[in-house]
Amino acid sequence: MMVRSMLRAGAWPEVAGVSGAAVMVGGCAVAFPAATTALFPIAFTLLAAAAAFTLDEPASLVVDVTPTGPVRRTGIRALALLAPLAAGMVLMLAGAQRGLALPWAATGLALAGNVVLGFAVACVARTRTGEPGAAASATVVLILMAPTLLPTVARRISTFPASGRDGLSSNTVWWTVLALSVAAVAVSVSGRPRLRWIPSLR
Amino acid sequence: MNATLAPTRPESSAGRTTFAALVVRELRRFVVNPVFLAAVALTAWTTWGNPAASVNEIDSVNWYPAIFLGGFGMMATFWLTRSMRHSEPVVGVTPTGLPVRSAALCTVAVVPFLCGVLTLFAFLHYHPLDARVYGAFSPPAQVAVLVGQIVVPTLGGPLLGVALGRWVRFPGAAFVAFLVLFGWVNVATVPSLSHPDSLAATALRQFAPFTHFTFTNNGAAMTTWRGSPWFFIGWQLALCAIAVLVAMLRGADGRVRARVTRTLQVVLVVAAIMFVLAAAGGFTHAVHA
Repeated sequence: MMVRSMLRAGAWPEVAGVSGAAVMVGGCAVAFPAATTALFPIAFTLLAAAAAFTLDEPASLVVDVTPTGPVRRTGIRALALLAPLAAGMVLMLAGAQRGLALPWAATGLALAGNVVLGFAVACVARTRTGEPGAAASATVVLILMAPTLLPTVARRISTFPASGRDGLSSNTVWWTVLALSVAAVAVSVSGRPRLRWIPSLR
Repeated sequence: MNATLAPTRPESSAGRTTFAALVVRELRRFVVNPVFLAAVALTAWTTWGNPAASVNEIDSVNWYPAIFLGGFGMMATFWLTRSMRHSEPVVGVTPTGLPVRSAALCTVAVVPFLCGVLTLFAFLHYHPLDARVYGAFSPPAQVAVLVGQIVVPTLGGPLLGVALGRWVRFPGAAFVAFLVLFGWVNVATVPSLSHPDSLAATALRQFAPFTHFTFTNNGAAMTTWRGSPWFFIGWQLALCAIAVLVAMLRGADGRVRARVTRTLQVVLVVAAIMFVLAAAGGFTHAVHA
């Protein structure tokens, strides 16, 4: 009962809308193989942004002082990550059907890394605000687009397996990001850090 | 009668004063916006950090100002526009209407535009006009290419941000628009790579706020694509005007709404004409060097 109501209160229009935009961009990547390496990272970035909206809680002032702990609340809301993950999987399946020559295991890892990074940034921001989606997603977009937009970063880090760049490989980057994200989520949901910012509840 | 009405004239003067005060206030808010400051820093870094010796194709460096000053500027003005949303119940009852406030917000686009002009001069200093890297256009047309790629996007991006901020409630609309436009420019360019002589491919490539006019395959062979850089600037400026008018349409009523709507219809027609001329103009076939 509680799971259903907590999921219903999620920012589904935002998550679904941004995931839809990702599917649109990724669909173009599948349709135009020449642009795949440019468009797939953009689609994955949008999926990360969608994941950043999953923790938005307009009624956070009430919800945060209920007996349900942040671990359980975050765990329930994490189910919403299935939406961007499913959208990414659909894109990858469509790409595989179209015969795109991508390393699919590494691409899957990049997808998971993008989505988990978006969620981790939202978790950290959620300790300060009830609706971290806008700020967290903007942060994630700026971080993830840096290798595309900045040549110096691009030479050192590769965030998509087929980008053919030097420096850290995509797999190394995403395994590291996954480990750091899991740690960030664990720290942010433990010990109810939110309460420390409400003076009357100290 | 005239003597009685004459004193009412200062109302328009007062309106201008209010507008000027609003513009100054919005400019002050904009120039300290961290996203805009980051955009200026990144533009300076990418412009000064790419000396001519290390660049063998101009397309690899000419899009940074459009991304940073235009794209990031769009995010900055979007947040600037949305930042007053919570104050709307209070601000909304002042005599200054929403269209006037939107117009004041649109005026801040002058700042990134001026940064874009400075960037153009810096770019021309580091990458002087040369047919080997700019394509087979005449020197004035080569400058027109750069104006369309560097200067006009720095005006259009922030204006689009104001329009989005006025009409879209979703707080992430700016970065979604940024990513979608970035992706669209990539997609729209693809057909021109394989069909450089096709009019349809040229039209698709130019159906975007930013486009490339040349293609260099890793510095090996320069291809100058079809399309007129001059009319493309006209198309971009028409898009800018559409963004301003769409922003001002929000909250407009009565005579103002009718005037804005009528002007918007005219600008849409002008945009369509400019687009057709931009796609059909220029070279009749791609020029290979």
